Amino acid sequence: MTGRTAGAVDEQVIDRLRDAVGARWVRTDAATRRAYARDATPLFDAEPDVVVQPGTTAEVAAVVRIAAAHGVPVVARGAGTNLCAATVATHGGIVLSATRMDRLLEVSEAEQLAVVQPGVTTTALATAAAAAGLLYPPDPGSRAVSTIGGNVATCAGGLRGLKYGVTRNYVLGTEAVLGTGEIIRTGGRLVKDVAGYDLTRLLVGSEGTLAVLTEITVALVPAPPTAGYGVAYFDSLADAGRAVAAVVGAGLVPATLEFLDATCIEAVESHAGLGLDRGAGALLLFGDDGAPAQVDAALATMVTACRDAGARAVTTAPDVATAEDLLAARRCTLPALSRLGSLTVLEDVSVPRPRLAEAVARIGDIARGTGVRVGVFGHAGDGNLHPTAVADGQDPAQVAAVHRTFEQIFQLALDLGGTITGEHGVGAAKLAWLPRRLDPAQLALMRRLKAAFDPAGILNPGKLGS
Amino acid sequence: MNVFDPEVLGRCMSCGFCLPACPTYALTGDEASSPRGRITLMRGIEDGTVSLFDPAVQEQASMCLGCRACEPVCPAGVSYGLLLEQWRDTAWRGRDTPWLVRPLLALTRHDLVLRVLGRLRRHARPGPRRHPGPHLLLGCVERVLFPGVSRAARAVDPDLQPGRGPGCCGALHAHNGRLGEGEAMARALGDRLPGTIVTTSGGCAAHLAGVLGRDRVAELSEWIVRRGLLPPARTGQARPRVAIQDSCHLRNGLGVSATIRTAVGAVAEIVELPSARDCCGAAGTYSLLRPRESARIIAPKVREIADAGVDLVVTVNPGCQRQLRTAVRRAGLEVEVVHLAELMAGQR
Repeated sequence: MTGRTAGAVDEQVIDRLRDAVGARWVRTDAATRRAYARDATPLFDAEPDVVVQPGTTAEVAAVVRIAAAHGVPVVARGAGTNLCAATVATHGGIVLSATRMDRLLEVSEAEQLAVVQPGVTTTALATAAAAAGLLYPPDPGSRAVSTIGGNVATCAGGLRGLKYGVTRNYVLGTEAVLGTGEIIRTGGRLVKDVAGYDLTRLLVGSEGTLAVLTEITVALVPAPPTAGYGVAYFDSLADAGRAVAAVVGAGLVPATLEFLDATCIEAVESHAGLGLDRGAGALLLFGDDGAPAQVDAALATMVTACRDAGARAVTTAPDVATAEDLLAARRCTLPALSRLGSLTVLEDVSVPRPRLAEAVARIGDIARGTGVRVGVFGHAGDGNLHPTAVADGQDPAQVAAVHRTFEQIFQLALDLGGTITGEHGVGAAKLAWLPRRLDPAQLALMRRLKAAFDPAGILNPGKLGS
Repeated sequence: MNVFDPEVLGRCMSCGFCLPACPTYALTGDEASSPRGRITLMRGIEDGTVSLFDPAVQEQASMCLGCRACEPVCPAGVSYGLLLEQWRDTAWRGRDTPWLVRPLLALTRHDLVLRVLGRLRRHARPGPRRHPGPHLLLGCVERVLFPGVSRAARAVDPDLQPGRGPGCCGALHAHNGRLGEGEAMARALGDRLPGTIVTTSGGCAAHLAGVLGRDRVAELSEWIVRRGLLPPARTGQARPRVAIQDSCHLRNGLGVSATIRTAVGAVAEIVELPSARDCCGAAGTYSLLRPRESARIIAPKVREIADAGVDLVVTVNPGCQRQLRTAVRRAGLEVEVVHLAELMAGQR
């Protein structure tokens, strides 16, 4: 997890890289290597030997060919907002930055799709889609910063997962460079196309270990005309869990079902003073989008479900401004928690929806046992929760306690029939946990798949498939 | 090393939410010239993985505008502006001080020349000694470059007493590697001018507020709104179409932007530029030290001004006023760039 010494890449390789993409886009200075040693994952830090910013697919292919010939690792990187150390160059080598390949190539209203280069930010795509009356539904928390390339590589999720699915549900096709330097085009613009293996789906979430994405075609959906939101407070998350079960039982698939536990409510209220109910054990933010009558009916159903589950209070937002106030509580949860300590570890596990309340309660038990402050918030609709630990990063004992806490939380998720990561990814951070989630035959298959895509083993080594 | 406040540096959780707000990251797409990347460098300086005096590290300390656009978008509330000041305070010592900055710092430190130049340029006459205030800060840049601004501010509120003595608040020093000196100058100014200090410069306002306390300082638009100095609505007259350029330190440091619009909206029709809140590239001494980047940063703004079809651009900081005036003239636009004080005094 500490910085490597540089110099592992021959000057001759650097020269060839300079010839391939232009000298100004190949940098080996100390400041550049240090700046790219980190992504958004706490406690992971490793300097690449060289940072390359290619401008075209052909340049990406040229860089990968040079790397393959010399056995130099290649770590593709978008904005570096992932939380699983997927873009930390743990084996040194080349960090390949997508920031120059940031053109939005096309938005087709007729086909309801967009074609983008990997460096386009999620928000830029969503904005372009909205201008055409369309919606790009995946909305990861870092969407203003994160790139589509990174979203696809990690199969990013977001708040709308239950109703709209996640990134994998929207990728129609890709152009990608294999570890050999060959350029492939998978899928395309068609809704129906079963010619061959679904390599598009395989590349989604492959975290840069199989290929480097150079172009992505995404599906868009008609933008819903309205949205509505409400908030309910409960004495306990168990009550909130019953409300969620009732909502789903009523045949509703709402766009928003987010929860905060008591620790998060307290942190948000201390930080932002939004007037939340500090005595509550859980806050449930609910909402839906669609035609006005449909939204009204959905909100009414959810209000009833919350009241029947014994909510302390339920309110709905009569207008956009009030709705924004409600959403603010969810949006500022991480900022509020982060102010409680210098080290903030935002984690990510998923459990079957009916086990959500139980999972949160047992995470509370674990945190009490290790003495670490852990707030839990997340997506009640899809069972994806984000236990977030806050500690003093300078205190090794506290850092060790944070590690112990999450080891127990990951095991808990598996025990409940869940998974070690719902939407953040495996990266270097959770690779050690992968054998607990996947059986040996599947892990062996993954290694063989990686070898087929990347025979030299240069694409993001030390991560998936390694 | 021991360059940075460890509590402030420790706050950053490397989430990267600052990247899209950063003008230099927009220019380069390079992590190293983003706020998060620079904070990674600062951490590297502290733990010894990079050298403060490595040319590539120095380059990043210099390329940063110091606009603090990263601060309002930071989920963890990192005071990046303070970290940058601490960085330059060590990095720009002695012979590492950019040579263009040296005469400026010297000039504003020894203010005789400034006073003579200012008087020659006929800025507002200083008031009596030991006046209880409110005082109008006669800023160092404005005295020489825009002497009309202080006269206009006095026309808006005759109760404002132009402060006697040296005008420089030390912001220039704090931003250019003389943090201690900059703070001492602000404190000295605060002692000499008791009560509220009203300033026509966003940069001075943020620096003074940081040293003297927020309650001692009012930027002109705040003062106008607070004191009810808005002119009555004019009817039947054609209102000029006006674009506003925010001051970075005013907006990102002190959260002041609404009162500017209240004041301008009282006398003119506001045409918001998409980039109104983004740095114009003046950034204190930046336009002198890094003219190439400065010109690239202002270029899209000049296109926006041309497209907006406005009569005036209003600024709230002399550096922005100079930068925009130069760029607009160079582009051959028939748009006047004025200070808020001049607009409110009815001089435009």
